[in-house]
Amino acid sequence: MSSVAENIPATFSPPNLYYNSAMTAPTDRDLIVSAMRGDGDAFGELVARYQTNVFNVCYRILHERGEAEDLAQETFLRAHQRLDQFDFEREFGPWVRRVAANLCLNHLESQKVAAPLDEDRDADESQRPERQVEVRERSEQIRGALASLPPHYRVVVELRHYQEMSYDEIAAELKIPLSDVKSHLFRARKLLAEKLHAPD
Amino acid sequence: MHLTDDQLNEYLDNETAERAQIETHLASCADCATRLTALQTLFAEIESLPDLALSRSLAPRLTPHALALPRWLTLTATLQAALALIAILLAAPVFATRLPVIQMPSFADLLLQLQSQWALFFDTITTYQLPTLPQLPPLEISTFVLSFTLAGASLLWLVGNGLLLRKQIRN
Ligand SMILES: [Zn+2]
Repeated sequence: MSSVAENIPATFSPPNLYYNSAMTAPTDRDLIVSAMRGDGDAFGELVARYQTNVFNVCYRILHERGEAEDLAQETFLRAHQRLDQFDFEREFGPWVRRVAANLCLNHLESQKVAAPLDEDRDADESQRPERQVEVRERSEQIRGALASLPPHYRVVVELRHYQEMSYDEIAAELKIPLSDVKSHLFRARKLLAEKLHAPD
Repeated sequence: MHLTDDQLNEYLDNETAERAQIETHLASCADCATRLTALQTLFAEIESLPDLALSRSLAPRLTPHALALPRWLTLTATLQAALALIAILLAAPVFATRLPVIQMPSFADLLLQLQSQWALFFDTITTYQLPTLPQLPPLEISTFVLSFTLAGASLLWLVGNGLLLRKQIRN
């Protein structure tokens, strides 16, 4: 699956739009304050810092690169609109990742009809070294298993395993009862175990 | 009595109040210990997913155009300028009839005039004599039109800038 996605070097780094290397890097808070005053470049710098992070949240939940990039973009637009709601006691990274997870859930729920999973997406792996292929195949199996889960399960797994939120925090974030957080999470893990550890 | 799946999940998530009891059971029950290990392996696998790189940076697409003021709002600046020009054009003939013909004095004359004005001003403030208010001109129709035009332009200017400022503050 998604061989195109895997071909991009992990060292890809966006150009620095906001400050040059001779200057001390502004903190996230500095950038947020500037962005709130209407400084587009400051917000651009925040985007540059967190776009890979946010994109990966979207990609784990959506499992489709184009959609994930669109939703990542949408996440930053929403974050920009809601900057006045940002709590300066907290960190920007976790906040913007939660915005992303919520947006992806809404996106999946609005789609209703689940698109059938494309099983042939990682067809072209023949030219890679053996071990790398194994790792990649396992990663893709995990991504595939995640993508097969119902939307709410995927998001709960994302928030627990990748954003390390507590049950209570997840319940508050998704506005669902604590009992639902647990049942979604535990059932999701059971389904993942069945998919990933099934005898070949 | 074995541990439930929920107990194992909560134990690994650090979300249980019965840690000690669970650990006691795990120490003496190979079955439950194996189930715990399997769950731990699953956690490790889920969390092993590497981060992928973006195919393109999102930053240039977001700034500055995407974050700029909406087009209709920036257009109000042009509208304001146009309205101001119209207001000036409307007001110009009224002023022209009222203003005396301007004669360009020489620089020396200007200085002399300035000096006399200063002397006059100094004289006024030293004698503490309040100047009498000049007689207001009678309301003519042209004055009314002028006032109305200026008031309208000012109101539009205020509303336009209010909108611009509100957007700016929210950003
Ligand atoms: Zn047991």
